[in-house]
Amino acid sequence: MNARVNLNVKKDLLKYGAKDWNECFHCGNCTAICPLTDDNSLFPRRAIRLAQMGLKDKIKENVVPWLCYYCGDCSKTCPRNANPGELMMSLRRYLISLYDWTGISRLVYTSKKFELIAIVVIAIFVMILYINFTVYPAGDPNKWLGEDGGVLINNMAHWRKIHLADLIMAGLLSFFLITNIINMWYHMILKDKTVKVNILDYIKGLYLLPLHFITQKRFSKCDESVKTYWYIHLLLVIGYVTMFTMIVGFLEWFQTDKVHPFWHPQRLFGYIATVFLFLGIIYFYYNRRKKLRENSKYSHHTDWAFLVLLFLTVLTGILMHYFRISGMPKLTYITYLLHLMIAVPMLVIEVPFSKWSHLAYRPFAIYFSYIKNLAYKRK
Amino acid sequence: MNYSDNVGVVFVNEGAENNGFNFNELKEYARKLNKVTSIWDIQEILQKGKKWIISEIKEKNINKLVIAGIEPGFYKTFLANVMLECGNNPEKVYLASFSEYAATTKNDIDKAKTIIACAVYNADYEKIVDFGENSVNTNTLVIGGGIAGIQASLEIAASKNKVYLVEKSGTIGGHMAMFDKTFPTLDCAACILTPKMVEVGQNPYIELMTYSEVLEVNGEPGNYQVKILKKARRVDLAKCIGCGQCAEKCPTRTPSEFDAGTKLRKAIYIPFPQAVPNKYLIDEKVCTYVQTGKCGICVKFCPVPGCINLDEKDKIVEITVGNIIVAIGYKVFDARKIEQYGYGKYPEVITSLELERLINASGPTGGKIARRVQDKKGFWIFSPDEIYEPKSIAIIHCIGSRDENYNKYCSKVCCMYSLKLAHLLKEKLHDSEVTEYYIDMRAFGKGYEEFYNRIKNEGVNIVRGKAAKVEKIGNDLIVRAEDIENGKIIEQKVDLVVLAVGLEASEDAKKIAQILGISVDENGFFNEFNNISEPVDTHKGGIYVAGLCQGPKDIPDSVAQASAAAARVLQSIAKQKINNRKQNFSISEVEAKIFNA
Ligand code: SF4
Ligand code: SF4
Ligand code: SF4
Ligand code: SF4
Repeated sequence: MNARVNLNVKKDLLKYGAKDWNECFHCGNCTAICPLTDDNSLFPRRAIRLAQMGLKDKIKENVVPWLCYYCGDCSKTCPRNANPGELMMSLRRYLISLYDWTGISRLVYTSKKFELIAIVVIAIFVMILYINFTVYPAGDPNKWLGEDGGVLINNMAHWRKIHLADLIMAGLLSFFLITNIINMWYHMILKDKTVKVNILDYIKGLYLLPLHFITQKRFSKCDESVKTYWYIHLLLVIGYVTMFTMIVGFLEWFQTDKVHPFWHPQRLFGYIATVFLFLGIIYFYYNRRKKLRENSKYSHHTDWAFLVLLFLTVLTGILMHYFRISGMPKLTYITYLLHLMIAVPMLVIEVPFSKWSHLAYRPFAIYFSYIKNLAYKRK
Repeated sequence: MNYSDNVGVVFVNEGAENNGFNFNELKEYARKLNKVTSIWDIQEILQKGKKWIISEIKEKNINKLVIAGIEPGFYKTFLANVMLECGNNPEKVYLASFSEYAATTKNDIDKAKTIIACAVYNADYEKIVDFGENSVNTNTLVIGGGIAGIQASLEIAASKNKVYLVEKSGTIGGHMAMFDKTFPTLDCAACILTPKMVEVGQNPYIELMTYSEVLEVNGEPGNYQVKILKKARRVDLAKCIGCGQCAEKCPTRTPSEFDAGTKLRKAIYIPFPQAVPNKYLIDEKVCTYVQTGKCGICVKFCPVPGCINLDEKDKIVEITVGNIIVAIGYKVFDARKIEQYGYGKYPEVITSLELERLINASGPTGGKIARRVQDKKGFWIFSPDEIYEPKSIAIIHCIGSRDENYNKYCSKVCCMYSLKLAHLLKEKLHDSEVTEYYIDMRAFGKGYEEFYNRIKNEGVNIVRGKAAKVEKIGNDLIVRAEDIENGKIIEQKVDLVVLAVGLEASEDAKKIAQILGISVDENGFFNEFNNISEPVDTHKGGIYVAGLCQGPKDIPDSVAQASAAAARVLQSIAKQKINNRKQNFSISEVEAKIFNA
């Protein structure tokens, strides 16, 4: 086995947030205290070793950063205050940028400026499209209102147009995300010559993908105080998935001119999802502000960007809904524009290139490590 | 020396309230110093802001700052930046740190003045204070009756000079008396220590004061007046015949210090059978009579009339000595502080000191391993009725040591004593599995690496990896660690966990330092004058340190240090002169000294 030492890894990793891991004297406390380790996945100490030695190739094919849920036990008990948990977090960011063949991810993570400019550029692009393809509700407001007093939104921005744009965007994002996952798969499985994975393994592990995507099941091994955190994370995921499904999958049903009664599933689901999202955002924001937990002690600029964008997206979304059912066409039109100007950059940047990509990488990493272990066992 | 300096002095009086330091007096003094043109309080600077101080400095043409205070270092970076922004050399910010030279009480005000003067004139304090010599009283005070104090006392007494040995507890012997064997030779600790203890008891040149504490020290090197509190033993040392009738009948129990709490003793007790003096005493904190005025059973059963005097009062005695050796020893780390090891929660988790007692033939179980159980009164003890053979034992190193969250330093002895304990366990329980979990194996001394190899060959499992937690899962006690060398997680089911607790400065260290006017380091260990050339001297003439109170070390090192301290004392007695390390001077005296240098 040969390994190449890359002296830049340390400098590089610092930009992704890692703190003090050079203090580590390899006592093994962190690996032993971690509730998620077993003989097949020893971390975080081994990952620290790779970082200290600058073994970039080994980091690239390493799955363990994705197995950590940042409960912080290791950082709390590390005798050297070497912040092993934060290193795992930084390695996840680093890996996201290593999987991303476009190089955009790296720029997002290493430059605040780039992230900001990217958000603004995409927002302006969205604005131009929106203004060109929609109709501003000028003149008598009443002509924009339906019988039940709600704004006739499909007369201004027809759901078909938005839906088409949604689909194009989803296609694009999926393309990037999928190619990045293929890249990850290439490094984690194909390049690793020590195991041979066969087709059956892939099928056997398949159930893990939806399971871990939805439930984040592994964290249930962590202790009680961590659980609150992950339950709220789960709320956020549920809120997000619900919204995403309704908007991208069923926009015709979701964006109606008719104002349904309050308990109609369209509105009820929307409200529940909104509440979940808000709860999550407030909780995570508070955690980061007050540095309440190990995992919120060190915030990277991408963490803040994500929270702020998500908050604004949900806020403009619910405002627009309010204006629509209260029969205020102009405000509806404008908030819809703002909503899209925030939501689209957020999705474009976060989903394939930044923090949100973990929603794909995490389950895939668990999946890959599972099938790798199957292959190991056979050997 | 740069005579063209214009100096500003910044006073940091944080912490001064507690010490009764008179900062106004210091300011007056500083104002009179040649070259000092301005004086500020740090509070004033912080309130008025950086801009203000920058303009002040520029206006007054100041090119050097001295920060004076008990611990002034905190502001150095800030003021260096200020100097930089003024266009001055940021390196010309000097500290006049009183604590660095142990000037921390109100009696040290003159010393503090000298420290300021030295900082203002760029003079080396250590050189300046080296004034003249005093004559020497040939008596010596040794504080602490552990192995270091015993050794030092015997060395000095052997030259027919008088020693007062003051010990806080009811007997001398210290921690060493609690141990079964010493590493690496596996000698019987008592066989080395007991004869020395007896000799201390019998030596006509040693005046032993047990159950006593030093209250006050005044005077100068070579001539210290010491006030000693002789606490009431309530048992007459001359009359007690050590029959133990009293203790047998005494109804009050409390955990025995000598047995590290593994068993109980009575309120009237002898610390251990070989105690010196071999006499009983009463623990006023628990004795029912002292606490409530009712009882007196011991008096009834004591065969010697007038031996027990329950109303005896504490006494204060005054002595004069020329030299003082401080050997107050240490305490062990409180394992309760690290929750994940379950000490105090799981009875099967014990400390190394408790194991020392368990494994000792003179211990609570006659040298057998027993379960910790709660007695009727709620005390957790190891009773001879609960003896068993643990099949699997884990010893976890570095508990509270080398840990940024607790003590950063290595306690130096735990690796070796753990190996020794592993050996003793193996010797007693042939079929048991003993596993040591370590970070690094520090076998640093003569014969130690060989000892480590020997223990490995005896079949003790030695795992590189700090065990991270001890957990009860169902009925099983599980130790979890990463086996770094073999690349796997160990979840070992064990019957007994031994925590190799580290060593800490004694809880009395700070108080003693105050009384003597010497200083302690950040961990509470006494500072030596120079750790290479004068390792047992302190910053105060005629006061020396020996043993663990100066820093973690093992028995041979403690003994060597004690002999060294005794040699320093004897040197001054032989010369009849002692460097007085005089520390208070008038301004003119200091200036004369500084400018002559
Ligand atoms: S606990 Fe800390 S020092 Fe020990 S291996 Fe982990 S990171 Fe390194
Ligand atoms: S943060 Fe928690 S899950 Fe992650 S490595 Fe540390 S102990 Fe394990
Ligand atoms: S007075 Fe009572 S409690 Fe006190 S020592 Fe004597 S017998 Fe024990
Ligand atoms: S002697 Fe060994 S066990 Fe003790 S603190 Fe040092 S390294 Fe740890």
